[in-house]
Amino acid sequence: MVDAPVDVSRADPTRHIAGQNQSRIAKTGRRLLVGVPLFLLGLWTFIPFLITISVSFKTKAETFASLGLIPSQPTIQGYREVLSDPNFLSAFMNSLVVGIGTAILTIIIALPAAYAFARFKFRGRHLLLLFTLLPRLVPTIGVMVPIYRLAVATDMLDRRITLIIVYTGMLAPLAVWLMVGFFQQIPRDIEEAADVDGASLWNRMRYIVMPLAAPALITIAVLAFREAWNEFTLVLVLTTTPDTRTLPFALFKLGQSEGISNFPAEAAFAILTVIPFILVYTRIERYVVAGLTAGSSK
Amino acid sequence: MTVTREPPEQTEPEKREITGAQIGQKAITPYLFSFPAILAVSAILAFPVLYGIWQSLYRAPELGLDEEFVGTQNYIDMFQDPGFWNAMSRTGLFVGGSLVVGTVLGLFFAFALFRAMGRLRFMRAVTLAPYLISNVAAAVMFRILFQSDIGLINSFLDWFGLDGPSWLSDTTWAMAVVIFTQVWTDIPLTILLLLGGLMTIDQSYLDAALVDGASAWQRARMLTIPLLAPQLVITTVWLSYSTLTGLGVVLALTGGGPLGATTTLAMEMYNVAFRSLRFNEALALATFILVLNAVLTLMYVAVARRYEIEV
Repeated sequence: MVDAPVDVSRADPTRHIAGQNQSRIAKTGRRLLVGVPLFLLGLWTFIPFLITISVSFKTKAETFASLGLIPSQPTIQGYREVLSDPNFLSAFMNSLVVGIGTAILTIIIALPAAYAFARFKFRGRHLLLLFTLLPRLVPTIGVMVPIYRLAVATDMLDRRITLIIVYTGMLAPLAVWLMVGFFQQIPRDIEEAADVDGASLWNRMRYIVMPLAAPALITIAVLAFREAWNEFTLVLVLTTTPDTRTLPFALFKLGQSEGISNFPAEAAFAILTVIPFILVYTRIERYVVAGLTAGSSK
Repeated sequence: MTVTREPPEQTEPEKREITGAQIGQKAITPYLFSFPAILAVSAILAFPVLYGIWQSLYRAPELGLDEEFVGTQNYIDMFQDPGFWNAMSRTGLFVGGSLVVGTVLGLFFAFALFRAMGRLRFMRAVTLAPYLISNVAAAVMFRILFQSDIGLINSFLDWFGLDGPSWLSDTTWAMAVVIFTQVWTDIPLTILLLLGGLMTIDQSYLDAALVDGASAWQRARMLTIPLLAPQLVITTVWLSYSTLTGLGVVLALTGGGPLGATTTLAMEMYNVAFRSLRFNEALALATFILVLNAVLTLMYVAVARRYEIEV
């Protein structure tokens, strides 16, 4: 969608008529016109990251004393504090478990449902429309208190499986919707041919549908993992001990507990929660884009 | 008139659907397949909403006592509570401010990326970075950025001889920082949507306007912006949704303070529920937010239909 090259020079038909000098000025002008906004975009996006990285390498005293982007006495004390904090380690593990669990459960639940919606004629197919609207009609804030009270009533508070189930329920509509669109693009003929050849439904799923749907599955896995990794408000009310807290909650706790802000530790913590994504980002970028646009436009 | 027509394929639509009989499966298969998803969505989204609305009609006379049916009393009290009206005005500021800042910046950056296409495609990947981090991490970053004594923003202002406020403890400026942070986390999507719109605009319109001698500003105002209307509508509604129902940034950055200056409806609901432990009253607030949000969503659907956008 966004990959089509655009010929910028086409926008200026006067280019060929203008004299040599004029065209050079125009060229510089155009470069500035393209370059300056892009530079600002880079600043806007990266300054918070840069400052945070810089602070994470400073001593605690320096964060209150001097501004310089380059720490005067670079130290990894902040990282050492965070990495030796048992709360960080358990939160990291919890985020990993909840993230992977949510990704797997979402796919297990959404894949067959999407297949049914895309391929079968059955009563209940109209539910698909509801699926597209529900996430918009029911934001997290609307179910936060009810889910908390239901979790208390059923003794499900403070369990990782509760988080996995809740996140899966939140993501399922989007995942189904995304995959239905994908299945509809897979020609039925392939499956019909396999059917004629005597392949069972399971074999068709296993050898035809799933391999073809791989990009959609990855998109959903990334989307689910990101949600579980970053979600803050539900984990805040559904967990009560460090044993089940995920990273955002642990980071929030760190910011709350300090008398005088321990900025290097907070910064190091924030950076460490971002790093897993940064490491794989170049590989998953297009899936992130797909998930992002899908999540918004309905 | 001897055109031989092929016989109409009446059975075609039927044949395209894989029916149970055709593939030797029981007709129950689609129900089995879709059941887990429908169950999950009902249990996590649909049921809690209905349960919450029902519970908002009850109230415990004292903390710890059994809840009694009070009808619409929670709603009546809510509308008479000055805290509610404070939250309403804060929400208006938050949503309105984020809309203006988010749309203007989003448009600016979308134009920037559009012009840079081809040579600087990786900039789009850069743009997405804020989408990958949690609200809490974003709040930590912006707390450091807007630190009152030595933060980057104030040092920058100091450079121009200006005395920056202590942003997060100032009742006027705290909201500005919250809006700024919220926009920062929401802008990747805004940019992507608007960029998508820009890519679909037919270049020949712009070329024709150029030949007619329209200035860059005229082209933007008379052509590009009107042609972008559908995408602008989507981003507007999406930003309103995200800010109206957003709790993470506010909670992690200011916790609603100072002195309630950033206590939006969502934040007020959280306070009533988890700080005052008045869950039923909080559910009345939550229901109110849901209704506001539903109105927004339906407006979106209506507008989307008008512009023939796929919803």
